[in-house]
Amino acid sequence: MTLVKIDKKQWAQGLEALQKAYRLFGPAQEKDYYSFKSLDTGEQPDLGFTNSRLSPKALLFPQSDTIIEFSLDENDEDHHIMKPVEKDNSPQAVLGVRPCDAKAVTLVNLNFDTPEYQDPYWVKALEATTFVGLACDEPRSTCFCTSTGCGPYNEEGLDVLLIDGEDHFLAKLLTDKGQALAEAAGWNTPVGDAAEIESRKEAAEAKITSAVEMDNLKNQDLMELHNASFWEDIAFACLNCGTCTYTCPTCWCFDLQDEVHGKSGTRMKNWDSCMFPLFTVHTTGHNPRGTKTQRVRQRFMHKLKYFVDKYDTGIMCVGCGRCVSQCPVNIDIRKVCNLMNSYNAAEVACAVNE
Amino acid sequence: MGIEPDRIHYSWISSAESTKFVEVVKEVTEKVKALGPNQHFAKHEAKVA
Amino acid sequence: MSEYNDKIKEISARLLKECQVDMVIGFRKGSMPMMNEPCFINNAEDAAQLVWDSNCGINLANYLTNRKEKIGIIAKGCDSRNIVTHIIENKISREQLYIIGVPCQGMIDKHKINAMFEGEIQDVAENGQKITVTIDGKENALEKADVLQKNCAVCIHRNPVIFDEMVAEPVEEQKDVDRYADVREIEAMTSEEKWNTFEELLSPCIRCYACKNACPLCYCPTCFVDESKPQWVGKGQDPTDVRTFHFLRAFHCGGRCTDCGACERACPVGINMRVFTKKLEKDSFEQFGWEAGLTLDERPPLDTYRPDDPDDFIR
Repeated sequence: MTLVKIDKKQWAQGLEALQKAYRLFGPAQEKDYYSFKSLDTGEQPDLGFTNSRLSPKALLFPQSDTIIEFSLDENDEDHHIMKPVEKDNSPQAVLGVRPCDAKAVTLVNLNFDTPEYQDPYWVKALEATTFVGLACDEPRSTCFCTSTGCGPYNEEGLDVLLIDGEDHFLAKLLTDKGQALAEAAGWNTPVGDAAEIESRKEAAEAKITSAVEMDNLKNQDLMELHNASFWEDIAFACLNCGTCTYTCPTCWCFDLQDEVHGKSGTRMKNWDSCMFPLFTVHTTGHNPRGTKTQRVRQRFMHKLKYFVDKYDTGIMCVGCGRCVSQCPVNIDIRKVCNLMNSYNAAEVACAVNE
Repeated sequence: MGIEPDRIHYSWISSAESTKFVEVVKEVTEKVKALGPNQHFAKHEAKVA
Repeated sequence: MSEYNDKIKEISARLLKECQVDMVIGFRKGSMPMMNEPCFINNAEDAAQLVWDSNCGINLANYLTNRKEKIGIIAKGCDSRNIVTHIIENKISREQLYIIGVPCQGMIDKHKINAMFEGEIQDVAENGQKITVTIDGKENALEKADVLQKNCAVCIHRNPVIFDEMVAEPVEEQKDVDRYADVREIEAMTSEEKWNTFEELLSPCIRCYACKNACPLCYCPTCFVDESKPQWVGKGQDPTDVRTFHFLRAFHCGGRCTDCGACERACPVGINMRVFTKKLEKDSFEQFGWEAGLTLDERPPLDTYRPDDPDDFIR
């Protein structure tokens, strides 16, 4: 790892140099919230944000993505042949990614890049991407990243970590991609002492007051949790909208749709949500997850139990707090996680019998 | 809705009113021709990423 | 508000203790400022969890659809009008319900308050018409009237229209409010301007469907957006499909919408989709003299026929 210092006076100049080698993306304010967008020449990322409304996962995994084209015109030589759509996989850099969102990319990657199967669209986009993170000195009250194995200075998934220091940034160059980006930007003023970072990191971590308990999830019996008594109470308020899953940086489910116009057509990959009835409905019309409570349980069981059991890397949640702050009816994953972690089926059964 | 008013027409025509039917269809056709092809709510290939 | 709270808890506990109802549907305190969570209570001891304040904007009639139990439900003006609509549309029967009426003084607009301040809001407290917003330990005073949800600011039915018991005396209804200024503004536009306005309005939509799912009117077993035989609308982010969803949703609410504002409140990206439903609400009122959910004794204009229907738009 190399540590360099970037004078803020040279920031714009560095970005200009980067524009030549990368397609740049960064946070920008739209109406009353932030989102990640493509930066035009000379445009600076707005780094004064706490977190973006939607996570930057959409840059690698767009909400709607055309992946295949085909022709139905029999006069065409290659009619009825599915052809992959060429994507722009030239180098891109995402500036100002929060450490939680970067860690989330590593979790999504567990699903899209396995030894057996690779999602080529995701894998190529990820390969082309350099993540320039921004350490989080002003976390929100809904942030609970320190208890999910992440943290405001966490480095997983990042190529560069920027630490904002008044008139300069300190940049930790974490990977080869990060080194290459710093070179392209001309960020090469070395700094020896990293002590400042350690104390800043501790101060940021101390500001995170919200936490979840997850130590016992792995030991919990899967069927006992599945049949736990609290699901109906948790799920009652749920509208079964897709806000939690669409804003979540770790939700990876998608649906394939073919659309035909005249004699040509496309196949699209669209985000899907386990909150929607259509997510599981069979062609027979039968829906194995036909009720709201079943769907809510699925979302939490997947994130907090099945994922834990399958990958053994903790929960499928980085503690970004988006679902907590944006759920229209205030269903709080922190509360559900703690309930699942501390659930004791025997005790609940006793209480009922008494 | 952002659709030109002349593009949409409601009418109540009895099966006995053949003359009215012809008149209305002619009138609507002329109005729509004057507007040209519809640009709104006409989906071609999906405009997505 | 505290007298409302005490009364709600008292009535709910009594109903449950006397087994008059199997459950009471209300709100419990949320984990975030300006948020309460809809909940059900099924034993008298838990009735103490119920709360009422200016953050109860979700329409509880939404939670009644096809339920079989005997239910106590806490209802402000708009909730009560949607309960009427639910009864008329056979989604619940009057006999199943014990309606605990709450004279409403308006809900506060969380989107607006969040957008008013730079930092993160730690706490929002209310005392009568005063709202105190705490940010970084610093208190900011607001007048409730300035931060009402937009639908509440123009509401003329604050008192429940149907109830079994009220938690307080009725409040004075707002008079001389201009309910449709925003709709008239759009009506005055050319087709092209309307098109562009709606394009801008809907551009942030992520099709999470929070608006339709928060709406008590949207209870179809299979929504048209989920139909696949035939598929009425594409499922991607193509702007034509996004717009089709919003327009069709609004049309399905024609003559039924009570302007409760749950759709706008639920939207995670702050789209003011009420302009669509309000246009239809205005038309229902101007053409049929109809306001949805005021009475159990009349059929809504779009499912009935009267010989004196003006019909003057048909030639």
